[in-house]
Amino acid sequence: MAIKVNLSKENNQLIIRIEERFDFSLHQAFRDAYINVKTNNTEFVLDLSSTSYMDSSALGMILLLKDHAEVLSGTVTIRKPSDTVNKILEIAQFHRLLKIEY
Amino acid sequence: MKIKAMTLLLIGFVISICQLAHVLYSGFGVISFLMALTVSLVLLYFIFVSRKTAIFTRIKDENVPKYTERSQSDSDKLIHTTLEQISELVDQQVSVIDNEINRTNTLVRDATEGLSQSFKHLQSLSCEQQQMMNRVINNHRNIGDEKETSLEDFVNDSSRTLEEFVNVIITTSKQSLQAMSFTEEMSKQLDGIFNLLAEVENLASQTNLLALNAAIEAARAGDAGRGFAVVASEVRSLSVNSTELNNDIRKEIFKTQTIIGNLRDSVEVMASADMTSTLESKENVSNMVVNVARINKESSEIIDNLAGLTPQINDTVSIGVRSLQFEDLTNQTLTSLKYNLDNLTSISHKLSMINLSDKNITNTLQDILLNCHDVTDKTNKINNQRSVSQSSMDEGDIDLF
Repeated sequence: MAIKVNLSKENNQLIIRIEERFDFSLHQAFRDAYINVKTNNTEFVLDLSSTSYMDSSALGMILLLKDHAEVLSGTVTIRKPSDTVNKILEIAQFHRLLKIEY
Repeated sequence: MKIKAMTLLLIGFVISICQLAHVLYSGFGVISFLMALTVSLVLLYFIFVSRKTAIFTRIKDENVPKYTERSQSDSDKLIHTTLEQISELVDQQVSVIDNEINRTNTLVRDATEGLSQSFKHLQSLSCEQQQMMNRVINNHRNIGDEKETSLEDFVNDSSRTLEEFVNVIITTSKQSLQAMSFTEEMSKQLDGIFNLLAEVENLASQTNLLALNAAIEAARAGDAGRGFAVVASEVRSLSVNSTELNNDIRKEIFKTQTIIGNLRDSVEVMASADMTSTLESKENVSNMVVNVARINKESSEIIDNLAGLTPQINDTVSIGVRSLQFEDLTNQTLTSLKYNLDNLTSISHKLSMINLSDKNITNTLQDILLNCHDVTDKTNKINNQRSVSQSSMDEGDIDLF
């Protein structure tokens, strides 16, 4: 599985790590990773350090995650995107919408 | 007596040479110089002859107190002839110089006319060039549409369009994914219906079993159960129909599941757009923005430089036109040379009139001397006036003619 999920109850943090390709094939698994987290103020961390490719459906998935986080008054942070992935995030102007840690 | 006359003659010629030197000094080149040289040579020759004559006369005075009238008259004749020759020579030289002055006048006038035309043409060409430049600059600044959109605006528009395009793609992806999750839920709902159908199926088979039991009981009751057997049979056929209906529903729902599968595929295509080409486009547009900015900066600098060139060309043309005044100045100089030449001619004529046998020779010589003084004074006066008048062509402003 190209998705690794790590839920830390103490830190109120959910880390979703995507490996290699981040595309439509992951949409169900990605949704499953967060949809059952209903705790308020959860910090959703998207670790893209091992992601080599991303298409527009990945951007759509991130926006859906953001919607989910906003309902819970939580935040979404993108962690260490590679150069290619970062360029796509820049085109989509995600740095205006989300916190990106380099 | 003779020596005194010679001295006077000498003084006359020295004044002539001064006059000549003055002409030379006025800058009228080789011709003046040649003339001066010729006159000087003739004068030297004359002095030589007169000195010889003088020596001869002196020897005669010492050794032969009574010199003959004949030799005296020969000597006078020789002097007269020489003076006439000088006069002719001066006339000839003056006429050559006069012709050359006229020729120079014509040359200068023609050249000035040519230069003036050329300057006028140069200026009109410069104006034309400036207009063309302005057209080129205007064309360069817009992309040739009706609104005269500048290249910069066009690139910025492209950049904005690209951003909007990216937004549309992302929004579409997001909406598609949401639709996808609804579809998944619908699929789960259909699975629930399958479970319900299984229960219905179960009920139908139990009903069927029950109807079978009823039929058996009815047969056992004999004639009394005949009517009940008909009812049992109907119930059984109802249960069979119910199972068939159940199977039909199951088939329909199965079809729906297949359609949902197709829907999922379509949504996948809709949601997944490869961003690589968009990325390239974005980079191209970004580079274009930088390039257009650089080109605009360079163009502005060139335009500024061009704008500065036209006044410079105009100034240069004005200087050229002003310099054409040299025609007037040269004319004046040449005309004043004619005055000097006239003086030379008149003095030389007077010299040729000298007749040594004439009793009034003293008066004639005094007259010549006075004339020489007069001419020298006048020439000096004119010369002083000239040095006061304009000597440079840079002074004064001149409009184009």
